[in-house]
Amino acid sequence: MILEFLRRVAHYLRRRRFEQELDEEMRHHLALKERDSGSTEAAHTQFGNVALLKEDSRAMWTWTLFEQLAQDLRYALRAMINNRAFTALAALSLALGIGANTAIYSFMDSILLRSLPVSDHQSLVMLNWHAQARGGGPQGKAGKQAKGVAIMHGMISTSGSTYIDPQKGFTGAIFPYPAFELFRKNDTVFSSVFSYYQAGNLNFTIKGQADLAIGEYVSGDYFHGLGVPPAAGRLIISDDDQAGAPPVAVVSYAYSQRRFGSAVNASGQSILINNVPFTVVGVTPPEFFGVDPAAAPDCYLPMHSNLVLETGRGPFGGLAERYLDQNTYWIEVMARLRPGASLAQAQAALAGPFHQWVAGTATNDRERADLPALVIKEGGGGLDVLRRQYSRPLYVLMTLVALILGIACANIANLLLARAAARRREIAVRLSMGAGRLRVVRQLLTESVLLAFLGGVLGVLFATWGIRFLTLLLANGRPNFTFRADLNWHVLGATMALSLLTGLLFGLAPAIQSTRVDLIPALKESGEPTRLRNSFWRVSLSQVFLVSQIALCLPMLVAAGLFLRTLSNLQSIELGFSRDNVLLFQLNARQAGHRDPEIAVFYGDLQKRFSEIPGVRSASLSNLPLIGGGAFSEPVSVAGSQPNPSAGNRILSVGPSFFTTMRIPILLGREIGERDQPGSPLVAVVNELFAKANFGDQNPIGQHLTLGGPRDAHPRDLEIVGVSKNARYGSLKQDFPPVVYIPYNQSSVPPLNQMTYALRTSVDPLAYVNTVREIVQRADARVPVANVKTQTVQIEQTINQEITFARLCSLFAILALAIACVGLYGSMAYNVARRTGEIGIRMALGAPRGGVVWLVLRSVLVLAGVGLAIGLSTSFAASKLVDSLLFGMKSNDPLALSLAVATLLCAAVLAGYIPARRASRIDPMIALRH
Amino acid sequence: MEARTEIPPGTLYMLILKTLMRVGPMHGYGIAQHIQQISEEILRVEEGSLYPALQRMLIKGWVAAEWKQSENNRRARFYRLTPAGRKQLAAEIAEFARVMEAITRVIQPA
Repeated sequence: MILEFLRRVAHYLRRRRFEQELDEEMRHHLALKERDSGSTEAAHTQFGNVALLKEDSRAMWTWTLFEQLAQDLRYALRAMINNRAFTALAALSLALGIGANTAIYSFMDSILLRSLPVSDHQSLVMLNWHAQARGGGPQGKAGKQAKGVAIMHGMISTSGSTYIDPQKGFTGAIFPYPAFELFRKNDTVFSSVFSYYQAGNLNFTIKGQADLAIGEYVSGDYFHGLGVPPAAGRLIISDDDQAGAPPVAVVSYAYSQRRFGSAVNASGQSILINNVPFTVVGVTPPEFFGVDPAAAPDCYLPMHSNLVLETGRGPFGGLAERYLDQNTYWIEVMARLRPGASLAQAQAALAGPFHQWVAGTATNDRERADLPALVIKEGGGGLDVLRRQYSRPLYVLMTLVALILGIACANIANLLLARAAARRREIAVRLSMGAGRLRVVRQLLTESVLLAFLGGVLGVLFATWGIRFLTLLLANGRPNFTFRADLNWHVLGATMALSLLTGLLFGLAPAIQSTRVDLIPALKESGEPTRLRNSFWRVSLSQVFLVSQIALCLPMLVAAGLFLRTLSNLQSIELGFSRDNVLLFQLNARQAGHRDPEIAVFYGDLQKRFSEIPGVRSASLSNLPLIGGGAFSEPVSVAGSQPNPSAGNRILSVGPSFFTTMRIPILLGREIGERDQPGSPLVAVVNELFAKANFGDQNPIGQHLTLGGPRDAHPRDLEIVGVSKNARYGSLKQDFPPVVYIPYNQSSVPPLNQMTYALRTSVDPLAYVNTVREIVQRADARVPVANVKTQTVQIEQTINQEITFARLCSLFAILALAIACVGLYGSMAYNVARRTGEIGIRMALGAPRGGVVWLVLRSVLVLAGVGLAIGLSTSFAASKLVDSLLFGMKSNDPLALSLAVATLLCAAVLAGYIPARRASRIDPMIALRH
Repeated sequence: MEARTEIPPGTLYMLILKTLMRVGPMHGYGIAQHIQQISEEILRVEEGSLYPALQRMLIKGWVAAEWKQSENNRRARFYRLTPAGRKQLAAEIAEFARVMEAITRVIQPA
């Protein structure tokens, strides 16, 4: 082996001499032969193929494969430089296809496939439960909220991993604290069990500077269980998670950089969280983002520190009681399997004890009828909220970009085919010179692989831009959007494989076709061939490619149409209030240390000051924004009757002139105003739906409501003073809910925590942001102004997924259409050029110009027709898959379908018309002279 | 074109080696001519296989080559048998004889 290698290297060094010697030997041979036979020609004929002979002799000594590869590459590069337009077009369309695929795949990879950056993530499990969830309540879109699991008297879900699936029932990721203690005791299968829940926004005051930070409450075993080492200081341990333990906090690496300058600086600092002194004891590593890929917390707090941070009673009692309550579900639980223990073993070991425990917590038969059953899932990927939200959209996008790549490949295959036809003579010459067929195929393949490679490299470039663009689209102006996708090695590998596969795929067909050349006619061919028998109607490979491009293009246009219509449906939804020129922002005075009853005065003073800003028409506040902040509910009923839990009633506590500010028309009576103060009679405004449902055609003004359920110790009596028109509250997509509006400062329902202010302005709302900040700063510097945005932007953010989708799909559809049109135009133009002679004869014989245009257009229309027929049937079948992503329409929307067909037809006719017109301008005299 | 008999596969090395043993150092054309004459024009050596074969034999060390003046006063590459080539020839002849004998036994009427 080594000897042979050395010999080949040695040969490589003196290859020129070898060639000369071989040449001389051949010349000598020929000379002697000529002398003997007496004729030069005879000698040459008998000698055979000199080039091939030399090639064979050379093959003994060298790495032919490498040498030929180098040759092929050199030749391919030369060919590319000679055909700049072709190369640019082909590489660009391929790059766009590959780039889009890589960008979308990067997102898929980081959302659907990536696992938590912790050690041994395979042994992590997530504890869930499953229940039927009783039905009831109004069916349809609003029906979801009316469902629940009876045994949960209270449910506080912060992460979105507790949800109802219409088919599978209720999946819960939240448990009562006693259940967590049960799992912790059962240590035969788990080496550690830990829990957590989102703390939401916390007020962090560091050296006098107040700011909001996203917090996560974690149990003492959280970091130990996940196996995360500190980047600085130490992380939370079990001793920290005790009632009365010294309050400590751990901050994320990014947060330590942002607020303390570095991780080392952060640890040991004293700070105020919600006005309570805490010590930062450590920093998490840079790559750690908690267990939810959708949300990266800024800080982690021991779970029991919520006792000092969340003062006041929540809707389900105080926090100290919540730790003991067996029917309030609020913490999420993960565990690490013992070495050797399997998921199935854990499931078997814990399902029984959990069932026993949960059966003991049921208080009546209705609760016993639907007991949650424990389900242990893999936890290595973290929470699946993001996966559930994005998996279908991502798969749809992935399909679309795969279609684009398919169109790009068909297009390039077509271009290569046309070029191969033009290169028939060249290939015939090569074959007649003795080139092996395999060798020619290899040469052609090298060219297309090189092209694909070029496309791949450019594609990676496009992908990087695409990822940045997509992140921007998805974040849509949200400053705390933490999710990032990187172009990682998997993605790069996948792209390269894709580009290579593409190269082989579209390189192979033309390569084989063009070497199946009948040598003699091909050699005789010169310049433009005129072949009358080769009609447009013959089904060729090229036509198959064109038809498939059109067929692939149509579903994309249909998708774009569907998503654009969905978006416009969403944007034209009747809100019930006016979104223009409204500034929204949130303040949380409780976290800065304000307490009842002073806090209501603080909020009220600010509202007055905001409404006095010149240019602000009116200002108000509510406990939640109308859109995108969820909806608050609490049992409410007509005085003297039982509350109906399935009515889906919503409560919104508002400040004076809320209806004026949001422009919700008052139909009867008055809106909530300055006169409704603490101490004055409790009042309420109800909307049309609530009035209709509870009073029918009666006048509701003056009627009384009872706020609070039968278990409530202090039910409140409200007098209805007004009826408003229906307005959205909670979700944009769901039906108008029945709403009871109450003054924010009259009852502690809902508790006064964070408030959303709304300012109706006369000009651009963002012009008032600085004034607002100054006013709040002067009132209390400890209260940060959060989530500042216009009402318009806020609504857009709630339909962000639809906006992103519609934009991406339109972009992809335009891309696909452009590529397909270029392909159609290219091959029609090529066909016309090839048939110049024939068309000349037709015109010489009296064919009118219009007839010639029709001749070319007809073939375009036939191709388009066949493509459309195939495309339509696939669109029909495929559009069912996106049904759940649509709003206000069905997947087989006739408008979207007909629009897509019309667009595609127009584009096809346009792409065909230019070559057709050129054909009609052919001068018969010039054409016939060819 | 007159019909030509192909040299049986695998025997070209043997024919070249035997020729070199019989006539001493010789150039490619001479080797081809010699095989043709001795076989009374039945065996014709294709140049396309002769020269690659010679190159392979050079690599294997069965022949050595040097540039000398040829009969038409031109420089030519003369191939000469090496001891390794001599051994190879003996082995190939023995093998060929064995195979021939076997074939003869098969095709002769008994």
